[in-house]
Amino acid sequence: MGLDPADRLLGIAGWIVRPLVYAGLCIPAVIIVAASFTAGDALRFPPEGLSLRWYEAALSSGPFMNSLWTSVKLACLATIGALSLGLSAAMALDRYRFRGREAIRNLTLSPLVVPMVVLGIALLQFLAWMKLNQTFIGLLAGHVLITLPYVVRTLSASLVLFDRSIEQAAANLRAPPWRVLRLVTLPILLPAIASATVFAFVTSFGNVTLSIFLGTSKATTLPVQIFTYVEQNYDPVLAAVSALVIMVTLAMIVIIEKLVGVEKVA
Amino acid sequence: MNASALKTETSNAGVAIARTPSGQGRPVVAIEQLTKTYDAFTAVDSLSLEVGQGELLCLLGPSGCGKTTTLSMVAGFVQPSKGAIYIAGTEVTRLPPYKRDTGMVFQSYALFPHMTVAANVAFGLENLGVPKADRKRRVGEMLDLVELGHLAGRFPRELSGGQQQRVALARALALRPAVLLLDEPFSNLDAQLRVRLREEMRRLIDAVDITTLFVTHDQDEALVLSDRIVVMNKGRIEQIGTPQQIYEEPASRFVAEFIGSCSVLEGTLRDGEFRTPGGMRVPLPAAGNVDKALLVVRPEQVRCASPGTSPAFDARVENSSYYGGMTRLRLNACGEPLLMEAHFAGTDVPKPGDDIRVQINPIGMRLIPAS
Repeated sequence: MGLDPADRLLGIAGWIVRPLVYAGLCIPAVIIVAASFTAGDALRFPPEGLSLRWYEAALSSGPFMNSLWTSVKLACLATIGALSLGLSAAMALDRYRFRGREAIRNLTLSPLVVPMVVLGIALLQFLAWMKLNQTFIGLLAGHVLITLPYVVRTLSASLVLFDRSIEQAAANLRAPPWRVLRLVTLPILLPAIASATVFAFVTSFGNVTLSIFLGTSKATTLPVQIFTYVEQNYDPVLAAVSALVIMVTLAMIVIIEKLVGVEKVA
Repeated sequence: MNASALKTETSNAGVAIARTPSGQGRPVVAIEQLTKTYDAFTAVDSLSLEVGQGELLCLLGPSGCGKTTTLSMVAGFVQPSKGAIYIAGTEVTRLPPYKRDTGMVFQSYALFPHMTVAANVAFGLENLGVPKADRKRRVGEMLDLVELGHLAGRFPRELSGGQQQRVALARALALRPAVLLLDEPFSNLDAQLRVRLREEMRRLIDAVDITTLFVTHDQDEALVLSDRIVVMNKGRIEQIGTPQQIYEEPASRFVAEFIGSCSVLEGTLRDGEFRTPGGMRVPLPAAGNVDKALLVVRPEQVRCASPGTSPAFDARVENSSYYGGMTRLRLNACGEPLLMEAHFAGTDVPKPGDDIRVQINPIGMRLIPAS
């Protein structure tokens, strides 16, 4: 095989770089999960002995458990909101030609561009004016806003590839529009909807900045709770809570994959 | 149980209406003055045609001639700007696609990728509320018809292009539509498969005896498959006729040049003779005097002249392509380009630069008005 020396060099470099990248991606999670099983009193790696005492501490801590529940609820509702708005927006942007279409497309993606801090301050002002500051609804609206771009982007990409004649075929076979949507369009878009769901959920569940601005004293999200806890304490309960966050996120991905079917996500 | 039996009756009757010829000779599809304009562009221009019971009518033309737009208007995917469409005697011009009694096979086949072959074929029957047992029987019948019964549980992506096309056909025919619409159904197949499948398609269409409206840009397909051909150009009908009429009696220069290859000679008609500026003279006793006329000559009607025949012309071979069964020559006869197709034995194939003497079969010539 007469491979170009440059190709061979890049090939070898790939063999070296790839494991490093994967390692770099995994190591923080591995360290924090390993540290969470420590029997000692300090957060350090490698852990000193093995125990579940910090999990017990985390699970019996009112602030952490309440905020975990708040975060899960918030992420689920934000995902539902972003999916319903985002799916409609992506459909309209893909299928209709109207004035200001590009402007609206950019507008739906703009939360990605505007720095989160700026968005937080702006939303705080806006929600205060709407008399919705310090409410769960306000927090939810903010999270829908920041998860929307991921939904619109993912679904737009999938709609571009959608063969419209499949919908025409369904209509030709006597399916009224709502049946076409339910039996043909949505099932075909399901993989894209699933990945949009994962993106939206993870983005909302892990968000700190916006939640600090919009959070309420009654409803603190888990990332914010961790953030405030770290200001005063630095013990292994943090590692246990972080491990729980990782587990919730993984569980979410696994559930979606099971619902949609792994082969269809491909 | 009574209720479900009743339902079968009504839904079957609903589908069957179009199959009952309501008055012999009444067209299954009638299109009147159909027009579609997009801003300043006229895609289809006052088109009128009729498709008779059991007939296979082909819309043939180059891309952009409006044939697909016409088919889309019949199916209901495109709203006409003007005109009317009737299917089985009912006006459908403003009806949505799902209320029209048509079955369509799409260029991409448009099979539902998330459904099995059987579910694809059953889809239309479900929409009409046909009970499960009847549905199953009908799907079995349709898959047997296209000889795909053994693949009922497969998904479309697991099928070859030819098999996908047959599923699409079975799916379209399952509802016994009044008219079958075919949109370039062979264009995604390779050349050899295309020839085999179009024979297969014609056999299936004849077997179920269904009225068919067929769109293609491929003249061979149109000639082989159609009962009648509608040649379209720039949104208008150039000619309607049987394949023989279209090929042998083209109504215009466009039709002559679009269907098959031909030479079009320009000249004048004087005293029962066609004369080209270069001095070629062809006797056409029946023709009147015309200052400017076109003579269409099909290449297979040009042959080497036997000694002493008149009229015959000296011609120089400019180009010679050997195709095995025949040789195609580009000739220059009296300054006119002339195509010729003939079989030459072994070493007799003319080479570029050779001079040969040719004659034109009198019945292979057709005068058309100069545009």
